[in-house]
This record gives sequence, structure tokens and C-alpha cells, in this order.
Amino acid sequence: MLGKGVVRRGRRTKGPKPSFVSYEIHTNEKEVTEKEVTLHLLPGEQLLCEASTVLKYVQEDSCQHGVYGRLVCTDFKIAFLGDDESALDNDETQFKNKVVGENDITLHCVDQIYGVFDEKKKTLFGQLKKYPEKLIIHCKDLRVFQFCLRYTKEEEVKRIVSGIIHHTQAPKLLKRLFLFSYATAAQNNTVTDPKNHTIMFDTLKDWCWELERTKGNMKYKAVSVNEGYKVCERLPAYFVVPTPLPEENVHRFQGHGIPIWCWSCHNGSALLKMSALPKEQDDGILQIQKSFLDGVYKTIHRPPYEIVKTEDLSSNFLSLQEIQTAYSKFKQLFLIDNSTEFWDTDIKWFSLLESSSWLDIIRRCLKKAIEITECMEAQNMNVLLLEENASDLCCLISSLVQLMMDPHCRTRIGFQSLIQKEWVMGGHCFLDRCNHLRQNDKEEVPVFLLFLDCVWQLVHQHPPAFEFTETYLTVLSDSLYIPIFSTFFFNSPHQKDTNMHQRQLSLPLTQSKSSPKRGFFREETDHLIKNLLGKRISKLINSSDELQDNFREFYDSWHSKPTDYHGLLLPHIEGPEIKVWAQRYLRWIPEAQILGGSRVATMSKLLEMIEEVQSLQEKIDERHHSQQAPQAEAPCLLRNSARLSSLFPFALLQRHSSKPVLPTSGWKALGDEDDLAKREDEFVDLGDV
Amino acid sequence: MWWGGRGQSFNIAPQKEEPEMGSVQESRMPEHRSRQPSSCLASRCLPGEQILAWAPGLRKGLEPELSGTLICTNFRVTFQPCGWQQNEVRWLGGLSRVQLLRPGSLLKFIPEEIMIHGRDFRLLRVGFEAGGLEPQAFQVTMAIVQARAQSNPAQPYSGITLSKAGQASGSRKPPVPLMETAEDWETERKKQAARGWRVSTVNERFDVATSLPRYFWVPNRILDSEVRRAFGHFHQGRGPRLSWHHPGGSDLLRCGGFYTASDPNKEDIRAVESMLQAGHSDVVLVDTMDELPSLADVQLAHLRLRALCLPDSSVAEDKWLSALEGTRWLDYIRACLRKASDISVLVTSRVRSVILQERGDRDLNGLLSSLVQLLSAPEARTLFGFQSLVQREWVAAGHPFLTRLGGTGASEEAPVFLLFLDCVWQLLQQFPADFEFSEFFLLALHDSVRVPDTLTFLRNTPWERGKQSGQLNSYTQVYTPGYSQPPAGNSFNLQLSVWDWDLRYSNAQILQFQNPGYDPEHCPDSWLPRPQPSFMIPGPPSSVWLFSRGALTPLNQLCPWRDSPSLLAVSSRWLPRPAISSESLADQEWGLPSHWGACPLPPGLLLPGYLGPQIRFWRRCYLRGRPEVQMGLSAPTISGLQDELSHLQELLRKWTPRISPEVHSKKRDPHTILNPTEIVGILKGRAEGDLG
Repeated sequence: MLGKGVVRRGRRTKGPKPSFVSYEIHTNEKEVTEKEVTLHLLPGEQLLCEASTVLKYVQEDSCQHGVYGRLVCTDFKIAFLGDDESALDNDETQFKNKVVGENDITLHCVDQIYGVFDEKKKTLFGQLKKYPEKLIIHCKDLRVFQFCLRYTKEEEVKRIVSGIIHHTQAPKLLKRLFLFSYATAAQNNTVTDPKNHTIMFDTLKDWCWELERTKGNMKYKAVSVNEGYKVCERLPAYFVVPTPLPEENVHRFQGHGIPIWCWSCHNGSALLKMSALPKEQDDGILQIQKSFLDGVYKTIHRPPYEIVKTEDLSSNFLSLQEIQTAYSKFKQLFLIDNSTEFWDTDIKWFSLLESSSWLDIIRRCLKKAIEITECMEAQNMNVLLLEENASDLCCLISSLVQLMMDPHCRTRIGFQSLIQKEWVMGGHCFLDRCNHLRQNDKEEVPVFLLFLDCVWQLVHQHPPAFEFTETYLTVLSDSLYIPIFSTFFFNSPHQKDTNMHQRQLSLPLTQSKSSPKRGFFREETDHLIKNLLGKRISKLINSSDELQDNFREFYDSWHSKPTDYHGLLLPHIEGPEIKVWAQRYLRWIPEAQILGGSRVATMSKLLEMIEEVQSLQEKIDERHHSQQAPQAEAPCLLRNSARLSSLFPFALLQRHSSKPVLPTSGWKALGDEDDLAKREDEFVDLGDV
Repeated sequence: MWWGGRGQSFNIAPQKEEPEMGSVQESRMPEHRSRQPSSCLASRCLPGEQILAWAPGLRKGLEPELSGTLICTNFRVTFQPCGWQQNEVRWLGGLSRVQLLRPGSLLKFIPEEIMIHGRDFRLLRVGFEAGGLEPQAFQVTMAIVQARAQSNPAQPYSGITLSKAGQASGSRKPPVPLMETAEDWETERKKQAARGWRVSTVNERFDVATSLPRYFWVPNRILDSEVRRAFGHFHQGRGPRLSWHHPGGSDLLRCGGFYTASDPNKEDIRAVESMLQAGHSDVVLVDTMDELPSLADVQLAHLRLRALCLPDSSVAEDKWLSALEGTRWLDYIRACLRKASDISVLVTSRVRSVILQERGDRDLNGLLSSLVQLLSAPEARTLFGFQSLVQREWVAAGHPFLTRLGGTGASEEAPVFLLFLDCVWQLLQQFPADFEFSEFFLLALHDSVRVPDTLTFLRNTPWERGKQSGQLNSYTQVYTPGYSQPPAGNSFNLQLSVWDWDLRYSNAQILQFQNPGYDPEHCPDSWLPRPQPSFMIPGPPSSVWLFSRGALTPLNQLCPWRDSPSLLAVSSRWLPRPAISSESLADQEWGLPSHWGACPLPPGLLLPGYLGPQIRFWRRCYLRGRPEVQMGLSAPTISGLQDELSHLQELLRKWTPRISPEVHSKKRDPHTILNPTEIVGILKGRAEGDLG
């Protein structure tokens, strides 16, 4: 930190507990501005307001350490520019997120903002009469930032606080999303590899291809009746329905009451979804609705269609309200302002976790998916998912079923295509569910996050079955709040198309943008995200001969057989088996870090082994062909940093904000008695002597 | 193939407890109708093992159900499936701890199904043929109950031990130093480079304390007569001994509580003090019991945990977590790890003498001192190092295994050692690359505490152990053909310990003890060179601290006798932890350890995480009894590594003709799993050779 050419006056003490505060202040304004870290603006991003001499706390603790810097609010993010940002060494910048830096919070990522007035914490919203001395920002990815504004000029405090509150909390218009300014300004230079291409399901061809892949094309057809969203704005332009279903049926109730195909199993049974017909009081209309449904059911009950089992997800399954409550309780366990508070609750960790019932909700989702899998796989039945709009739990359950039954969905491309098919085209209201526009807090339900958590349970229990790792899922969950990807910022494909077209954009983001991985992290981390154990998935599901009658038998018998990672995959759902997605939820808590430990250590070992295998293979090949292949040693990501922490790759982002270390002094200077005596004074409480 | 295998590969309940006889279910008719099991079974018996009763039955709870024979011998209860081809000894443990749940009710009904709950969380369920109407079903049930009643836990089953030992011939060396000879102690002392210490022979006849080992380490300058007198002022004569010498210069000592009733003279006090001080100017006295569970707490938690994990436990899935929390087992593990981590910081951060003091010095002191060594000494994390650590800090140091594991039926049962194993497992989870042994090894060790074939875990004190092993011959009541009379006076060589794994496991299984992810590159062989402090600083220590509640408090004096009662006697239990407790000791000593920069920690030191979410539940151990959970427990990453390894081996084989002799000698059998580092080493050697 020293010797960087910046003049600093060390150890000036200010603040409530002067003896503990140790920070450094820039006094020479000129030199500071010279050395000042420049704010990186994305194309189309505009600086809205800023404040200088803001102290960012490392941790709210008995000791208050911090870094001084500038707090900036743009129309994309809130950023903190620490004064000694340049101290970051090159080694670690390779892990940096390209879009969102360590101290950047995208506006959509802000969850709650609190102000501290005279040691009291209050939620901030609307117009403020009084400005807080401290600002606490809780993020949706569970980071917590604390900024001290005590040393900032009053004018600047006013501007920045009201600016931040306005831009993050006030309701917003869709067209004000940063997405559009970015799309206008950014050049479309995304090159997609045609082979590794996520299927977007925005053309008829994509659906036909999917039908062909799952061998569903005998009984189902892709229809273009909704082209240009003529019938219904909720449905995608193209979708798949049972072949004998007349197209006018689709028109009848604007797509309600129509069984829409999701996926076909190898044994011919299919997963369908249907949005419920509008609730009516009038008997006459009810009669019409009934006969309409009878007609529809007749079509799909008749051979060649299998027996249909209807699963009503809106009546006797989870409610969105439940999910919302559970998650808001659950996330509080990880949003830590104050580590003393944290240690107090730590002892009751399991019961707190249980009382949030988030894990139980995950279990219920997985269980429902297994039940449906059982119907399709063992009993050869079609399953029709029914929900009011068929766009929340339908998406979740049908994606989970496909993930369990279809090994293709467990590849990265397959998984992205699945999200595209079931969530984006399935009309999941990302805009409302993530509350991106801050228009209605009640609509904010983390259904997609719940899905990712369910997937994580599967990945965690059966890592070799997936091409991607938990890191991929974590990054994916983060990209929900980064408004440069269009994928998660619309309520329906119609909304996206109309908005993007109206503004005559060159849609730079439509291609494979649900893959945050591509060009999001630098290339070096690619192989971290791809699962090393993911095997080529080619085989189809083994058919089981026996017809089993119930869930339990199906579940038990599957688990008593050796797992075929290329076939049907069921999760364990017993009490001890549903776990906390530690990487996502704990990654910003410094106390949770295990130096040199955890799965990361195994991972780095694996990478090392693979590298060895590769280099050996190359050597052998070389001998066989007796050719001289100039061999540059492949740079191993983890080799140099042999001891990574358990929070890798995210801990790096935290790194900078730690307390000053006395790393080796305790080690080297052991013989030095004077030094010993001095340092003892620092930590021993001598009050009683 | 019992590494998280499926189906039959699962090792059936080794230890019986509470066999619950009851007509629980209708029994199904097995198709198998073997009526002459004795002939074929006899060949599978161990030498000296006698079949007491058998009955055809059907093993339940697993898919598929197995038909076979339930056999009760004088050593174990075993279920042998018919058509079981492998010639594999299935160690099902002794009958020593069978307890009848309903002793009087046995005659009242005919058992249709027998359920045997193992103490190691396993369950054997066997349904009998024909609804238990066959007389054999009744006989075998009775036999199991009777065998339990007759067997004496303190008496090991010696047939196997002797026969195996006989085969191994007289001159075998124990795989791990048993710390029963002065040479073992001297070797170990040299290995630790504890120069200021010597091996004391004062307890050679166990007349200082029977619970102490024959030999132990005391400071160089203390005479044996002083040792003898000083030890008299400690609870049960367990005075301060060196546990471990940190390469950086610190010493970790352990001792019992001060015997407050005694009235030592000045000389004695000086001796005691200089033994505690061990020549350091900085002395920290650690109250071991502080913040750790009591023995009764440990026992209660373990009982609750077992109740929770039994296959027929009725806890609802959504209440599982709070039930787990309610056992407090994980809480105790966390407390142990936290304290051990604090102490290893104390030992590492500067040169000082750290004394673990527990009243009895036989339970938690062993746990803490072993954990501290695991955290701070890379050598202790090797397979050999860990085994010698357990041998030294637990077996030789006189942990009362028999009492603590419930062998004597006394009320002082408390599975402290199992708590320790769980702590080690947590460390293994958190630092998978730092341990040479695998989870599988820990499981094997966990199970062997109840197998009565060696004396290691069957005695309370080194004295008893020594006495018994000397008299080993008298236990041979049974004629065994393979057994030859051992040479008289050579009983030391005959003494087998739990570390003779080949008694119990096949070579293939023993190979699984190796952790394929072990990466010794992380463990520097040599510590940073540190000047050894000038030993024996004259005069009193310049600073004396009491470590308690996560903080250091200055002490006026080390010993309690001079003016005031011991500070340890005045328990600090009710004192609240200081507010600063949210910061661990490591923070105080070094600044935040969580700082990510370039190696803030001394090399080799591990600081475990002990947050709620980080302390995990050892599923593979505790949930083995649950058929629905026991499947698919193998660690995928490990198996992935194994794949990689075999791949590497294949490549290696291609290279074999080019391998130089000395490398070749390391290569062993091509079928064995090589230690990854060796492979890497070989490969690197090859690569360099090629370049040169």
C-alpha cells in the first residue's frame, strides 16, 4: 500500500471509537485527482451523481476499518471507487467480472437501503427530511455495503442519497431500463459459434427441431397461429400443441385452456401445460367453458395419446406468497450488517434455517417433479400441468422434470435452451417477479431463483451428471440483475419483441444472451464453469420394465440401483439431503471463508490431474508421430495459487476490503522481545489488573 | 467394494445392541432352502470362532431383499446371503454390547423378524422363514441374547489375533510405534526436534500413575525425583508432560488439575512451575473444560444423535434440521474446533509454553491436543502421523476407552473419541487436499473401536493394556489349527493393535484409506527455520496468562497453592465472553485471517471454519443404517479422481520400459492405486528426463 507514489498521512483518528479506527486519508487533493481511479462506463451509461470522501466500511464490527473513496451513481450502477484501487495486483484481476466490479452494485441488484441516524437503522425511501450519516445497502445477491457519509460534504450527501434512493426505489418505466440505452449504444459484435448455440425457440424451426429431438413429432405439431402475437400476447409466437387440436380452439380463449406441449419422453408420454380459463360467474359462460374443455380433453384423451393426469399447481401446491415469505426470511440469515449479531444467531443456525422453510419448499418442488417423473416414466402417462397463467410454477416444475429425465438438459447448451424454452418463451414474468421496475413489491417472488436452487441440489448430489458446475448457476443467478442482458428483463416474448422493435434496435442481445458465461468472465475461468466431470451425454434413458404404482416405490427403487448419469436422475429429498447453496448465499461473508479448503481444493487437484493427463497425452502423441509440436505449457489457472479459499472465485472480489494484515510480523519477529511486549499490549485486556 | 457401495456391498451391522425381537412384519417365504449351512459356513469362520446357532432368513430393508442364513457365533452375528461368492470376512463385531430391549418378553412370542441395532448406527433386519415357526429362528434369537449375556467385554476375542500373529511370525514390527518402549518415545522426541526435553522413566513400573504411559517427556533439567514429587500434586498423579513440540519453538503440554488438597513445599512448587514453564518466558494456561461440553453432555448428544439417525426414527423431513440441532452434537464439534483453532494460533503465533489443563487429563485434553496437532503439523495429517498421534495422545495417554465407550456399563460412558473422529472428519471436509487419509479410513477407525480383536480400544489405562498383553497366552482356550505357540517372552511382538489393518480389511480396502486428493505440496517438509530459544530462561516467566473465553487474562502465578486458590478452581464459566469474542483469536494475533492476500498464515497451519453452515453432518457415518440414504454415498469427485488416476496409470504403463530403475521401484503393483504425488513425481521426472 505504501510506496505507491501517493502522499498519505497515516493513522489519523476520527470517529466514535478513535482507538480502533485506523485508516488513511488523502490530504493532497491534487495528487489524489491524478491518482484517482477512473470510473468505467459502459456504452450508453451516464453518470448521475457522485460524492467524495465516502468511507466504505469493511465490516461493521467493534473495529471500524474502512477505505475512503468516491461513491458514484450512474443509470446502471452504484459504484464505489476506492482511493487505492490501483493496489490490486495483476494476479487477481483475471477473475474480475467484466461488467460489474467488486464495488459495483447494479441498480436492479439493490434490495433495501437503510440509513443510520444516531445509531438507529431505518429503511430509506421517498423524500428524506434528514440525511443519514451512514448508508447500508443490501443487495439481491446478498452483498451488504456500508458507507459512512460523515466526512462527506452535506451537499454531496443530499445529492447522492436522494439520487440513489430515487434511482433504485422509485417506480420506473420499462423504457427507462438501462438495457435500452446500452443496446442503442453498444455495437453488436457478438460472434456466436454455430455449434455451441443455445436454441432460442423464437422460430418455428427451433420448435420442430425440439419435437424431432424428443421424438414428439408424431403426436404434436408446432403451430404459428400466434405469429405476430395476433392471438395472445402472453404466448410465444410459435408453440406446440397436440396434432388433432383445431387451431380455432387456440383463438377461442386467447390461448387459455389449450394444452401446450413441453416435452416428450422416450416412451411417448408427454409433459403438457395449460393455463386455466378465466374465472367466470356467469353460468352460461361457465357452461361454454366446460364444453370447450370437454372437447379439448377428448382430443388428448383419445389414442394415440396416453392417459392424462392433471396436476393443478395453483390449488394444492405451493403458493407464490409462501415462496415470497420463505425467501425473505431465508435471505435475512445471510444479510449480515454486523458480525456480532451474526455470531449470536449462529448458534441457532439450523432452527432458523428450518423456520424459514425455504429448504422445505425446495424439497416440495423436487418431490412434485419426482412424482410427475414417476407418472411419465413408470406409468406411461401424460401429465398436464395446470396453473392460472402457466408461467410460474409450471415453468419450474416442467423444467425440473426435464432436467431429471432428459440428459440433454444437463449439458450447458441444453440447460440454456431449457431456460429459453420454459422460462423465457414460457412467459415467466421476469420483470414483475424480480421487481425490476419497482412497481409492485407484492409481485416480487423469486421463482427463478427457487428453480436454480433446486437445480443446485441436483448438481450438488450428482455432479458428474452435469456439464456445468455450481459456479455457473451462481453466475446465472447474478445475471438476473444485470440489465445488459435482455433475457431476464421482460414479462413475455411479446413485450420484448415489441419494445425492442419499436425502438428499432439492432437486437444485440438476443443471441445466446442467457449465457452470461460467454464473454462475461474472461476466458481463463471458462473451465471452472464447465464441469470437469461432465461426461458426454449421449445415451437415452433406460426404460424400466416394471410398472410401479407409487412415488415411494419408484423413488426407493431408483435410489437402490447404480446411478446412470446419462439417464434418469432423481435427487435425494430426505431431511439431511437438502442443503444450503453455500456458494451463492455465503460467498460475501468473510467469516465463512476457509483458507485453502473446501471443494475448491479438490477442484484444483482435479484440474491439476487433468492437466497432467493432457500433457502426457500430448507427449505420447508426439512420440507416435515423431513430430515436433511446439508445446507451450498450458497455463493452469489454479497452479500458481495453490491455496485458494473456499469462497473462490468470489472471495477475490472481497479481498480488497479486508483489514490490514500483519502477516509475517508475528512470524518473523518472534525472537524480538521488545516487539513481543509491545504487541501484547494491543490485544490483552488489562482492565482487571 | 464397501466404499459407499450399493446393495450387498454394504457391510452389515457389526455391533449389536438392543436386539428388538418383535413380530414387526409378515415374513416372506424365501425361495432358498438350504438346510446344511454348517459345512459351508464353517469354512468362513475365523479360527476359534464357534457357531452357536443359525437359521435361514431373509434380509430386509434393502433392495433387493436377500435370502440367506443368520448365524450367531461366539464372536459376532452375521448374515450370509446364499450364493455369496466372495471369500470375504465380514466383520460384524463382537457380541459384547448386546442389550436386550425387552428381556422378559422373549418367550412370549415367536419372532418373525429380528432387528439388530448396531451401536455404529447400523441396522440388521432379518425376517425368518415360515413366520418364525421353524425352531431355528427361536434358537438363533435365544443364542444372540445369551451370547450377549455371557460375553465379557473386557475379554477380547483372541483367536483371530493369535492366529494372525502366529502367521506373521515373531519378528513383526507394529505398523505404528505403540509408544510402549523408551525407544519409541526417544525416536518421536527426535522427530519433533524437542531438544530441551528428555524421556523420563519414572513411571516405568506404573507407580507414579497407572493411567500414565510408562514413559513420557519432561524438561531436560528436571530430575526424575522432582518429577515424581511434582506429579503427586496433580489430580491422579498426572503432572505436566510435553504433548507436542512446535517446530517454531513453542511447546504444547498437558496435565491434570492441581491437587488442591496437597500442601507442597517450596521445592515442589518450584519444580511444578519450571515444568509448566518449560523454559519459556511466555506461559499460557488453557482451561480445557472452559466452553467445551462435559462428558455427560457428549454422551447425551451422542444418544440423541443415534436416536435421530436410526432407520426407524420418526422425525419428519421438514423437522430434520431442528432435530439435528437439538442433539447439540454439531454444536459440540464446533466448540471443539473453535477452541483447537484458537490454541493452535496461540502455539504458532509466538514461542511460548501452552498448557492444556483438564481435571482428569484423560478426555478433552487428548481431543484438543490431537486437534491442535492436526491443525498445525502437516506430519500429523499423514496416515502414519495420524495413527501415531492417536496412539500417543489417546491410547498411550490413558484415555479410558473401555469406560467411555460403555464397555464397563458404568455411568461414565461418553464417546469422546467418536467426537474427535467427527472433528477430524470436519477438517477433512474443509481441507480435502491436506490429509493423506480418507474419510473411509476414519470410518474404519470409527468402527474398530468396538471390534474386540485388539487391545487398543479395550482397556482403560496403559497399565491394564500392558498387563493383559503380557498374559495373552492364557486367553487361548480354543484350539486353532493355524495357531502355533508363540515364543515365550516375545509377547511384545505378538501384541497387535488396531493399526494392523490387515487383520480386518483386505488390501484393496486398505488402499482406500489413501486420500487421492492429498497434495503434499501444500505441506512443506521443513518449517521456516526458527532460532530455538535459549532453553531454560532462568527466573520466573515474564508473562503468565490464562486462556479462557477466547481471551487471555494475566495470571499472577501458575500454581494455586501459595496464596490463593487456583484460578482454574474458580471457574470462569459464568463470566460472559468479552464483547470482542466475535473476532477469533487469530484476528487478534495476526489481523484478520480471512484476508486473502499472500499467505498471511504460517505455512502448514489450517484454520478451520466453524460457522453454523460449515459444520456438517457426517452422513456416511451416521446414516449408514438407513437403507434409503446409504445408497450412492460415494463422493463423486473422489471417484472422478480415481478415474483420472487409472487413466494416468494406463499412460504410465505405456511408458514402463522407459522408466528408470529407481523410479520403477516406487511403482509397486500396477494394480494398486498410486499415490497421486508419486505419479506426478514420476511424470515430472520423466518429462525432465526427456528434455535433458
